[in-house]
Amino acid sequence: MIPLLKSAVCGLSSRAVGCGGVLQNYATMLTSGLKTYSPLPDYSGVVIPERTKLKFMDKVPTLKKVRREMKRLKDIVGPEQRENGFTSGQYGIVAMGGGYLHWGHMEMMRLTINRRIDPRITYALWRINAPYKPITSKGLGKRMGGGKGAVDHYVTPVRCGRLLVELGGHCELGEVKGLLTEVAKKLPFPAKVVSRESLAEMQQAAAARELNNQNPWTFSRIATANMLGIRKVLSPVDLRHHGRYTGKFHLPERV
Amino acid sequence: MAATLCFTFLPKQAGWLPLRQCVRYGSKAVTRHRKPVHFLKQKLLAITEYIPPKPEECFRVSRTRETKQDSRMTAFIKREVQATFQQSKMIVVVQNNATTTEDMLQLRHRLHKHDVSVKFFPNQVMRDFLSDSMHKNMKPLFIGSTVLFVSKEPKLKEVLQILKSFPQLVLVGACVDDTLMSRQGIVSYSKLPPLATVQGQVLGGLSLLSSQTSSMLHRHPAHLSALLQQYLKQQVIDGPSQETGPEAQDSVA
Repeated sequence: MIPLLKSAVCGLSSRAVGCGGVLQNYATMLTSGLKTYSPLPDYSGVVIPERTKLKFMDKVPTLKKVRREMKRLKDIVGPEQRENGFTSGQYGIVAMGGGYLHWGHMEMMRLTINRRIDPRITYALWRINAPYKPITSKGLGKRMGGGKGAVDHYVTPVRCGRLLVELGGHCELGEVKGLLTEVAKKLPFPAKVVSRESLAEMQQAAAARELNNQNPWTFSRIATANMLGIRKVLSPVDLRHHGRYTGKFHLPERV
Repeated sequence: MAATLCFTFLPKQAGWLPLRQCVRYGSKAVTRHRKPVHFLKQKLLAITEYIPPKPEECFRVSRTRETKQDSRMTAFIKREVQATFQQSKMIVVVQNNATTTEDMLQLRHRLHKHDVSVKFFPNQVMRDFLSDSMHKNMKPLFIGSTVLFVSKEPKLKEVLQILKSFPQLVLVGACVDDTLMSRQGIVSYSKLPPLATVQGQVLGGLSLLSSQTSSMLHRHPAHLSALLQQYLKQQVIDGPSQETGPEAQDSVA
């Protein structure tokens, strides 16, 4: 009985194997190819600090005496010379124009970023101060005169090229880019999401552009020599910034 | 922003600041909106725009093919192809136009009975391999979706018979014993008689000449002997009539 069954099973299996040669791949005739995987990124040198989330920013600075200050709109004008590089993070938002950031903007940035990052593997840090510049307001419906108004709120001035927020940790640009673009769109000036490499690339591209410009006539050449008395319509600020900044705006096409 | 006069000392290198600057009053220098630009400044900005460097003249660069390294998959398939070509004596290239799976299965089954296997290889890999190997002239066969029938023994007759029942499979060419054959060549090759018959025919043709020599040498004497025999036969027949003839003539004379 059992040997009969065994022989039957063996017969079946051998028959299956025999037919297998014919049946094998009648459906899949051509293979699509081998996927080659690139190596995983190396995060060994990345140190994640203790406090990974963005700190809360005060709406009003702690001062004994509240002083009203002059407007000093020049704190918006021109390029940022000092705070325009990365410190410890990998990715960040850089301002492409000048403007004032107030507490609402900072709250928006803080809440969005803190909600979206994983605090165990990513960290974020501020590159701007809490609002410190007092902005006065006279109040609705008041007539001109009667002195300067009272301090209404505080702001942080930001120049073009300044880094606002830095992100770092065990993450790639693709992961954080969406979050940072969301934040960048809500800022009062044009802003860009950059990584260390892309920022360096931008700066190099600008320098290369200046070098390989085929136009013999440049703004700075004409303005410094005051050709045709053009300085009648230019300001000393234009000279300093070589015509690349007007007011708080940055003109990226100018070279 | 009324017009003001300034008298300040300025070094010549920095350029002259005009002593009087007339500025129209209006908004401040830093505004939320884009301020209207003075026409002369517009002109200046237009003149001093960026001009990119022109790309170099495109001259005819010789088409040097960059030697692309084969991916591992391609290398693997090439090795398979090489093994197939080495092991098989007969390689038939067939073009398949939308064969269903069950048709393909039937075909494989029928060919398997004659020990012919069906192979699929990507055309690109095939062409790459052929351009390096000695079967260079097979390259134009591999256009479109192709199938290979390979076997160790040349069995073209059976293959042709089987392909008759599959009208969608078009025979394109074959390589049998390192000889390329077109469609007509294959058909005529399959119609050839078996080897022994052909060998016998060849031998017979070669020995024909030598066998004819002895008969040729004996032709003249044979002809002469045949003529003489015929003459004798006629003599025997004409003998009695001839005797009476001359006797009559004698009697008259």
